[in-house]
Amino acid sequence: MITAHHYLAVAAMLFGIGLAGALTRRNSILVLMSIELMLNAANLNLVAFGRQAGWEQGSQAALWVMCAIAIAAAESGVGLALILAIYRHRRSAHLDESPPLKG
Amino acid sequence: MVEQQIWQYAPVLILLLVALGLIGGMLAASAALGPRGRRPPIKDSAYECGMLPVQPGGGRFAVKFHRVAMLFILFDIAVVFLYPWAVVYREMLAGQAPAVLGGVLVFVGVLLVGYLHAVRKGAFDWRG
Amino acid sequence: MNAILTMPEMAVTALALGLLVLDLWTPADRKGDLGIAAIGGLALILAGSFLFGAGAPQYAFGGMYVLDGMALFFKRLMLGVGVVALAAALEYSKRFAAGTAEYCALILLAVSGMMWAASANHWALLFVSVELMTVTFYVLVSFERTRMPSLEAGVKYLILGALASAFLVYGVALVFGGTGTLGFAGDSGPGLGTGSVLVRVGLALVLAGLGFKIGMVPCQFWAPDVYQGAPAPTAALLAAGSKAAGFALLLRVLLEAAPDWALEMRPVLMLIAGASILYGNLCAIPQRNLKRLLGYSSIAHAGYMLLGIVVLERAGAAAILFYLAGYACAVLAAFLVAALAFDPGEPEEIPALAGLHRRSPYLAAALALSMISLAGIPPLVGFFGKFLLLKGVVLAAFDSRSFGWLAGVALAGIVTSFYYYFGVVRAIYWSAPAAERPPIAVSRVAGAALGACLVGIVAAGVFPSPLLEAARLAAGALRIP
Repeated sequence: MITAHHYLAVAAMLFGIGLAGALTRRNSILVLMSIELMLNAANLNLVAFGRQAGWEQGSQAALWVMCAIAIAAAESGVGLALILAIYRHRRSAHLDESPPLKG
Repeated sequence: MVEQQIWQYAPVLILLLVALGLIGGMLAASAALGPRGRRPPIKDSAYECGMLPVQPGGGRFAVKFHRVAMLFILFDIAVVFLYPWAVVYREMLAGQAPAVLGGVLVFVGVLLVGYLHAVRKGAFDWRG
Repeated sequence: MNAILTMPEMAVTALALGLLVLDLWTPADRKGDLGIAAIGGLALILAGSFLFGAGAPQYAFGGMYVLDGMALFFKRLMLGVGVVALAAALEYSKRFAAGTAEYCALILLAVSGMMWAASANHWALLFVSVELMTVTFYVLVSFERTRMPSLEAGVKYLILGALASAFLVYGVALVFGGTGTLGFAGDSGPGLGTGSVLVRVGLALVLAGLGFKIGMVPCQFWAPDVYQGAPAPTAALLAAGSKAAGFALLLRVLLEAAPDWALEMRPVLMLIAGASILYGNLCAIPQRNLKRLLGYSSIAHAGYMLLGIVVLERAGAAAILFYLAGYACAVLAAFLVAALAFDPGEPEEIPALAGLHRRSPYLAAALALSMISLAGIPPLVGFFGKFLLLKGVVLAAFDSRSFGWLAGVALAGIVTSFYYYFGVVRAIYWSAPAAERPPIAVSRVAGAALGACLVGIVAAGVFPSPLLEAARLAAGALRIP
């Protein structure tokens, strides 16, 4: 029997993997991908809890997940465009090379 | 009861027959009408939008396609919101027609503004 | 369905979309007119928002959206901030190769996101409005695509912002799991207990996500870099608008939705407030870049405003509202001067301000006034705001000694801040310029916007009672149990 706890555990692991990736990776595209994992962990939680919460709240949670997916797509759209613009300037997508902002 | 359930698969069967007929017809027509003579191996290879059917994976795409790909993803995901709308559409049409119709018109209108902007700014033109 | 309540937000969004469409058929030499039209439209919406009275709270979209006195106060504040930011953008966008109308439309979209946030009564509306604002800011921050610092700031804001939203959504998911509802506080009263671990952990993650927006201490790393790298109008909107939206949501979550949890977490909130004040003020001291200095000082100001939250009372909320309005005037004026007083591509170094009073006495006086108000010298608005915030903490100190310590830290921070704020004033009036530079011509639109900010700084400082009354009325609408 698969209960909400199982979903919670998977989501927590996904969130942890994403967080670890976001904090340790130096390539900005990989960081974006890791953050996407974290968002998906939250979505999984929402859907799992939504099933428990009954039809009305559950459908609200499901709708929210759609919003979250769309927003994540917009976020990564902007992110990739930005990384591309930076790449054109200095031929690298790494985060820690020659940052002009310091202090 | 069981019979009824089997009958529900009738459309699938019809689709299968139509698909088989279409493929068979196309093959037969090209065999009957097509030019005869030399058949180099490239002619027998599967056709997929001008790409090589067999090549190493992990190749790179030119970055000029990035804008089109991004726009595709954004519009593609925006369509997700139409599904819940379609589910409740018929129910709501009786009592709350302005809300259910106006809401989706506003949504599609916003998407249309985005599309217009993309077209006029030449975002779909990857030659430049 | 009370969709009519959302008219101001809808109108701002429609204005942004209309601007985008009109831009497609406007010849390049007439793009400036579009900016003027946007300013006029937003000012009209601001005037129209006074048609709504601050009566009993009204709900729309099944209780997702609430229009009460506090939401109205924040909406008017954000519309005003938007008008000034558009005026700055109109001036600043002469440096862009193209994209004046897009820049203005993005500012409008960010303002509409902030306005939705002010009315959020449901976790979903909270999240979507915050993201509308934040994703727009990613583009606004990195809008100067030819300038590397702008792109760098954009990537920094994007990655940390996306991380913060991940925390926010995950936290909300846990809160939802613990309570089984996505609304904040329906008509039946506040719904969140502090019972389950899920809710507590979830609320802590939400606090981290919202803390990013206001720039409080553990989530402040982006502020100096982004303020420095972003175009000046973006930084102005970020400081005055994004912070206000963050505080609107914090007030709703901490005071309305989860007051028990806030009471339990009060020591942590006090620690965060004190640390923000100290960190912001101490790090601002050695800065040479005006925008970077304002970035650090914005962390300190977030700390001051948290003082209004830790007392967990209506009076504290009213003090925050008053302070936010005063801070918006001062910081908008400072960034407007930063947009006007420097050449395109020139870093905004404070020593380069030397001799500004000869190049443009108006800009020099404006920047000086804004710095003095930020420092909190009477009779300007910054003084009265700080006084109100400190008053709440000092009154609470009679009950608990830890509030006394917090008041001491805040006072020390304020005194420290005199040093760097007056460093800017000294650079303007009392240091010799390295080379004679031509006078600055201030356009009519930018001059008027700057004038509005200055009137706000002086008038609300000398006659604080109208603004204070409005803030009290707005805070009275908070449904504190």
